[in-house]
Amino acid sequence: MKSNFLKLVLPAFAILLAVGLAFATEDRNIPQTGYYNHPTFGLQTIETDCLESGDDPCLVDDQYQVYKNQGLTIPLYERPE
Amino acid sequence: MARTETYPRLVAFVSLLLTLLFVYTAVSKLMHLDIFLTRVERMPYISSRAHLISRGVPLLELVIAGLLWVPKYRTLALYASFVLLGLFTTYIIIVLTYSDSIPCSCGGVISALGWKHHILLNISFMVLALLGILRSKKQSNITSPQNTVQ
Repeated sequence: MKSNFLKLVLPAFAILLAVGLAFATEDRNIPQTGYYNHPTFGLQTIETDCLESGDDPCLVDDQYQVYKNQGLTIPLYERPE
Repeated sequence: MARTETYPRLVAFVSLLLTLLFVYTAVSKLMHLDIFLTRVERMPYISSRAHLISRGVPLLELVIAGLLWVPKYRTLALYASFVLLGLFTTYIIIVLTYSDSIPCSCGGVISALGWKHHILLNISFMVLALLGILRSKKQSNITSPQNTVQ
């Protein structure tokens, strides 16, 4: 009985838990479309994996702030180092 | 007597944690294989082999996770876990030495960690794998004389 637990139940539990967690946290890992205002070309889009919270602002070309929305009201931040 | 029961439990616990890590990251990568491929293509030194790596790494992770539960191959799987984590950690350290930031090619919420935390996480799992290897060897040392008597 104890042997069966170690051989079958425990790995099955681990695999199910891992797969479940992978699906549950799926949206955290997907790059999103970000927006920034270019002084010449206007509103531009860019694929980014920046986050909504953080310390360092998410910048394009080291100068233009990237936002989550087209209204440029929700700034994005770099992933922590 | 108690020690002979402790070793399998410890090895099983280490195998459990490594299985969770490998299956979680592999499934996360496979769910968005195109995104994972793009990220690997952006990574220094390995971009030319992006297609092979983006398919090979999740597959290898799943194979190792499976072998961790086959007693005959458990020690081999622990060695493979240690080497895979070691290679990735070494790669991160080398790249970070020459680059300010690199795109995270890891799976799931692990990609939300910073690189320093990611390295710490990898080293923790490497220590666990090493512990599992040592315990697995001790376990086989204990059980071997009994087997020969039988």
